[in-house]
Amino acid sequence: MMLRVKKRTPTGKVFIHLKKRKPRIARCAICKKPLHAVPRKTPSETRKLPKTKRRPERAYGGYLCSNCLKELLREGIRKRFG
Amino acid sequence: MPLEIGRVCMKVAGRESGRYCVVLKKISDAFVLVTGPKILTGVKRRKCNIEHLEALPYNLEIKEDASDEEVISAFEKANLTKKLDLKLPSAAEVKAEKEKVKPEKKTKEKKEKKK
Repeated sequence: MMLRVKKRTPTGKVFIHLKKRKPRIARCAICKKPLHAVPRKTPSETRKLPKTKRRPERAYGGYLCSNCLKELLREGIRKRFG
Repeated sequence: MPLEIGRVCMKVAGRESGRYCVVLKKISDAFVLVTGPKILTGVKRRKCNIEHLEALPYNLEIKEDASDEEVISAFEKANLTKKLDLKLPSAAEVKAEKEKVKPEKKTKEKKEKKK
């Protein structure tokens, strides 16, 4: 999880600093496009966020992007009601 | 299926996506007035873009800009509740909905105190 970064200090020595890695962007399960309104935080940080800040309030929010959801809903209606 | 008054449709975008609603009035060629009503399907009475709606092959006989109660009774008449598996709100829920008093907006006095 920690990135090792080499840093040269004023005395000329090289030290290793540990830098935190950012987790990957959340992606839509179908079209793999990056999702909006889903913060890039580690699970422990996300847990501290209020629920409405972790993902959009839409159906399948944080799992599907809005376009894929729109298509699925339209398909579902056309299939079911013809 | 054109969107005319009484047309039952589903919202495919926004917070209420995936929920059923009924068209009440045509506001312009891009917007219509829509209601769920809220106690039945969770869609508030609001203006909605036509792009965000997907029409269903069902139609309710309601007059233009009907009230939510009329829409609920129209739903019952067209016995759509079974088809769209909607739970009809009990009388208690309807009463509770009416009594829900909207909290008044925070008035300006707060600001004066700080000065």
